[in-house]
Amino acid sequence: MKNLLIKEMKLASSPLSYLFLAFAFMTLIPGYPILVGSFFVCLGIFQSFQSIRETNDILYTVLLPIDKRDAVKAKFVFVCFIELLALALMAVLTALRMTLLRDAVVYATNPMMNANLVYLGFAALVFALFNQVFLGGFFKTAYKFGKPFVVFIILSMLLICAAEVLHHIPGLEFLNGNERLGIQAVILIWALGVYAASTAASCARAGNRFEALDL
Amino acid sequence: MTDVLEVRGLRKEYPAFTLGPVSFSVEAGSIMGFIGRNGAGKTTTLKSILNIVHPTAGEIRYFGAALAGNESAVKQRVGYAGGAVDWYPRRKIRDILDVTRRFYENWDEAANRKYLDAFSIDPEKTPRELSEGMRVKLNLAIALSHRAELLILDEPTSGLDPVSREELLDIFRLLRDRGTAVLFSTHITSDLEKCADHITYIKQGRLVATGRLSEFMEEQARLGAGADLEDIMVWYEKEDLREKLAD
Repeated sequence: MKNLLIKEMKLASSPLSYLFLAFAFMTLIPGYPILVGSFFVCLGIFQSFQSIRETNDILYTVLLPIDKRDAVKAKFVFVCFIELLALALMAVLTALRMTLLRDAVVYATNPMMNANLVYLGFAALVFALFNQVFLGGFFKTAYKFGKPFVVFIILSMLLICAAEVLHHIPGLEFLNGNERLGIQAVILIWALGVYAASTAASCARAGNRFEALDL
Repeated sequence: MTDVLEVRGLRKEYPAFTLGPVSFSVEAGSIMGFIGRNGAGKTTTLKSILNIVHPTAGEIRYFGAALAGNESAVKQRVGYAGGAVDWYPRRKIRDILDVTRRFYENWDEAANRKYLDAFSIDPEKTPRELSEGMRVKLNLAIALSHRAELLILDEPTSGLDPVSREELLDIFRLLRDRGTAVLFSTHITSDLEKCADHITYIKQGRLVATGRLSEFMEEQARLGAGADLEDIMVWYEKEDLREKLAD
């Protein structure tokens, strides 16, 4: 697995997957639907899959003395590595907004989503969606990625819109605040659980599909 | 001689094409030419025996053990090249080799340097900067550096100039003398006459013949199919046309 990860990083991945981690800094933009940053991180990962297809990475990989399912796992681990880096960066910036920048004027009247624990939870759900819809869809053929990415775009935009709407519903204002951190933490842990479980399920299903594919 | 590869009753069914049943074996330290016209099923056969496509039926054994359940161990001892290197065209060869070597237990760095030097491959270049012939040699250098005991090559001589083709055949003969088996597909029959010990011939997905090249040639001459491989192949390929015209 270690060697496959090295292969992903040195040969298969696109530098844009790392560069697009910078979109995590959208966490700091006031008056903006900051959850879109997590979508752009996924767009950066998508660039690696374009590179994977253009460079015949899949054929190179299956000819190596490895288990084919490990090839799929390595792709998932690489994607999770980027996503968790983005989440960690978002978490640091969120902590900054919730503490030092708590009273900053630009954030005082923010009609859009604030950076808080719920925001991090929603970001984890966007990543879960990517792993389920895009990665799962890609390994149906190990070649076609257009349709799974379009489906991901539609579903992630719906999720982001829902996240922006929810905190405007009476009684759910706490989703956008800096208070009631206990329930916010529960929501974040639940979202991370969904991320882990759905990614593991998608990886297992993708492994089975890839094993049965004629390349 | 022991068999390094045994293929028994290989079948692969597609909606519009059926391969097989195909059976043949490759001896250690021998060169097997795998011939057939374009679309005969050569690539499907080679991909099937490497489990890149999944056979509908049949048994594939390497070094006496079934491929199923031993794929990773088998690939440690087998080198495959679908012609020229066509992956990571914009990565430096040095980087590709640095990653590739990590997967092979028997990777020989000194041998790798030797083959790169012998084939005049500059590791600072990228595959896209190499000619077709050089990319075939790069694939060979990779396979030889992990001491592959069997090389499976899909049309390695197609698209090469006559000198490069001759150089490649020289390399095959050298490898055979060192005990490495080579199985290569081609539709260029003159390449086989120069170096193959055995041939397997398929036509429209069906096995026509497999065995020693010299015995095959003698038998076909007796049948009046022709005196060289090209004549024999053309004779067989025109069989359907002759039958249709006779009706």
